[in-house]
Amino acid sequence: MSRMYIDGPEVKITVNDGIFVDLDFYDGRKITMLEPKRLFPISGLTKYITLLDEEGNEAAIIRNVDALLPESRQVILNCLEEYYMIPKIKRLIKRSEKFRIWLWTVETDRGVHTFEIINHIVSIKNLYDGRILIKDANDNRYEIPDFNALDRRSRTLIMPDL
Amino acid sequence: MELDGVLTNMPIPGEILAKAGDLSDGGELSGGNRPLFALVGDLTLKGRYGVSALFVFKDRLTAFDEKHSGGQATVMFCDIAQAKVKRMYGNAVLRIEGKDGKTLDLLRFTYSVADIGDAAALFVNKINEGEPVDQSLEIVKAAYRNMRSFCPKCGRKLKTPDSECLNCEGKSKVIQKFAKYIKPYVKRLILCLLLSVFTTALALVPPYITKVMVDSVIPGADRSMLLTIILLLLSVYVAQFSVSGIRAYLLRVTGDRIVIELKKDVYAKAQFLPMSFYDKTSTGSVINRINGDTANIQSFMLRITQEAVVQAFTLVGVIIIMLAMDWRLTLLSLIPVPLVVICGRYFGKRVAPMYRRLWRRGTSLYSILSDTIPGVRVIKAFTNEKNTINKYERYANDWLEEDKKASVTVSAFPTVITFLITCGSLIIWLVGGGQVIGDLVSGAQSGITTGVLVSFIAYAGMFYAPVNFFANLNDTYQHTLASAEKILDILNAEPEHDFGKGNKPERIKGKIEFKNVSFSFDRSKKVLDDVSFVIEPGDVVGIVGTTGAGKSTVINLIMRYYDDYEGQILVDGADVKDIDMDHFRGHIGYVQQEPMMFRDTIFNNISYGNPDAHVEQILHAADIANAHGFISRLPDAYDTLLGERGVGLSGGEKQRISIARAVLENPAILIFDEATAAVDSETEHLIQEAIERLIRGRTTLMIAHRLSTLRKANKIMVVDKGQIIEFGPPEELIAMQGKYYKLIQIQSMSEKAREMKEEENLEISIT
Repeated sequence: MSRMYIDGPEVKITVNDGIFVDLDFYDGRKITMLEPKRLFPISGLTKYITLLDEEGNEAAIIRNVDALLPESRQVILNCLEEYYMIPKIKRLIKRSEKFRIWLWTVETDRGVHTFEIINHIVSIKNLYDGRILIKDANDNRYEIPDFNALDRRSRTLIMPDL
Repeated sequence: MELDGVLTNMPIPGEILAKAGDLSDGGELSGGNRPLFALVGDLTLKGRYGVSALFVFKDRLTAFDEKHSGGQATVMFCDIAQAKVKRMYGNAVLRIEGKDGKTLDLLRFTYSVADIGDAAALFVNKINEGEPVDQSLEIVKAAYRNMRSFCPKCGRKLKTPDSECLNCEGKSKVIQKFAKYIKPYVKRLILCLLLSVFTTALALVPPYITKVMVDSVIPGADRSMLLTIILLLLSVYVAQFSVSGIRAYLLRVTGDRIVIELKKDVYAKAQFLPMSFYDKTSTGSVINRINGDTANIQSFMLRITQEAVVQAFTLVGVIIIMLAMDWRLTLLSLIPVPLVVICGRYFGKRVAPMYRRLWRRGTSLYSILSDTIPGVRVIKAFTNEKNTINKYERYANDWLEEDKKASVTVSAFPTVITFLITCGSLIIWLVGGGQVIGDLVSGAQSGITTGVLVSFIAYAGMFYAPVNFFANLNDTYQHTLASAEKILDILNAEPEHDFGKGNKPERIKGKIEFKNVSFSFDRSKKVLDDVSFVIEPGDVVGIVGTTGAGKSTVINLIMRYYDDYEGQILVDGADVKDIDMDHFRGHIGYVQQEPMMFRDTIFNNISYGNPDAHVEQILHAADIANAHGFISRLPDAYDTLLGERGVGLSGGEKQRISIARAVLENPAILIFDEATAAVDSETEHLIQEAIERLIRGRTTLMIAHRLSTLRKANKIMVVDKGQIIEFGPPEELIAMQGKYYKLIQIQSMSEKAREMKEEENLEISIT
């Protein structure tokens, strides 16, 4: 049960195609077309990134992205940014509710968007670190990185759902 | 500008249509050049929310996105090797692989439209494979039909295609759905209503009689009249309270019947809901709904059918009487009404979200109960009582905090309303009292007598109650009271005895000895009868026997789930009762037939018995349990919430997680209770592989019906009717040709029969 862990300087990571990367180890080994995915997409955004080949088999795990060489780190972060679409909600523009269907219009780091929440009890998760995770009716995900950092109006609008 | 007759998931944005060409001008989308269907995206290729679209023609695809050169890209079908949708996390890309080996991302979208993207890719591939357009288009049409369609009125998504929009559906229809529960009791409710009207009418009499007493009877010293009036009042009170009592009884019985019918229906419906519903909804929440929410609906229905009518009758009656007595004082008494209404509405708006949050916290608290109480064996096995208590306390404190916040508003509101009503009576006292004094001093007749004033004050009090009621009609929430009796049942129950607390042997080797152990649950029948055996450290013991033979009881006693047995159970030579219970259970790894998953992440489920475990220990444990592979393929991997919406694991997957949980415990004794009973052969192989890795060097007890799963066992224990009838190495038992031998014979025969049946099926399917 040996697993290849990447700690940082032993590998150079380059983009192959879109969200795929190549690994060039300093001992001469080379692995191509690996897809980085988070093992902890909610609790550890830059820790334990698994690298899967085209068949979905794990080739290696990056323990900590921040420990990689700067260029490699950026490559991995770009791939993850491309793969994981979790818009950060900056402001709640409008919120309405009728017959237990919630309609939110929000300003995110990816633009303004309107979505529906069917069951706010299970779709809105209030984490103890101040983050709020939201799943809409289509299983798209959103994040409020820090509830207390929102403007007062947004906080007032969201409060009833928390 | 619209594109009539073209299938689309939502209206095509004007700017896209403008780019594509004006229909009337014979542009790109006109005449015979019309697209077959369109996909309106909600993301740009750069991953921002924005306008994008894909038009699918008979021979080509045209995508509109700011990233494409000139905002547009067209690919001919004949140049496409394959079209596919690459699903990522929260978004997807329609990707074209060209025959020249190049790839092109045509369109990006969220999960909201990903199904249509899949259909578009499939359509392209089908056409390239030579399928007729009409035939391929049917797949696309089906995808559009299956997609949650939008309400044409309000634009909101519908729960299912062609279903009515809840947003636009009249409130009356929703009320109608619940009205059917009232229907059987309409006559009784009408009777209650009439009785209410009668008692309300009677309640209006005493203040008027007070006026007569104060103005005529007492000043006139008319004793006979006084007696008559008192008798009249007594009759009024007797009639009023008797009828009230009958009405209260009828109403309560009717209300209970309504709520029971509702509960039965909700419960019956819950039995038939798909498992996906339960993957998304905690059982605590379901129970809360059956118990709590049905009562809320019943309460609301009774409020609407009874109280609203009674209060309206009271309001009208009081106003008429007050106007008849003195119209000026009536107008004065109306002064606080707007304030009461405004306060009521303000309060309603403020308190509703508070109660919603309170309900949410309450449900979370309830969910912990419904998670942990049925899973109490697992909690004990992993000695996780303290963590469970801490978690409950944390959630309970959350609820308390929320309740404290709500209490401020909830307590302030009635105080404010009472204050306003009191102020209203002060105005009447001030003006009316001034008039009465003025009349007394001047001898004039303004029409306001002392009696009128006193009875007016009484009517004013009656007048504000319905005002308050109507101001708060939207407030349909109610608290759910916990049953004190049930709580006391729990509090008064005898706790588990830990006789050996503090006795924590440094190492548990894993020798288990039963000395003349007998046990019964209810003393009516011995489940184990004089059982003795010795299991040496490192032994792998397969426990076999028919259902109800007592196999699980052996395990239950080793786990110390029951202590009131006869005889002695020794572990490493020491009586198990003399060993610290937590410490002992901490050295046992327990894998059940139906593993208990808690409503938490996979990571936390694995680390359940060892919350301080390093992340790499968890990964290692998952590896040994053959679980890492499937976990890492889940979108949220180790952060996947179990029992929550989005993810449900198969039985085999849950089993592997429970094995990983046991691995992490690094136990001296391992117990598998039918760990592979409920899985298919392939999964059984994976689990078996994991078990074989795990059991090396540990004392292991395995209960199994399938004897093939016991191939690693060096000893077999045959339990029959509460007794150990055979115990020893499998070869010896086979040579004895006893019960174990017979079990093997039976199983191999049924195995052969099953294989033959499978072969037959295979042949049939081939032909």
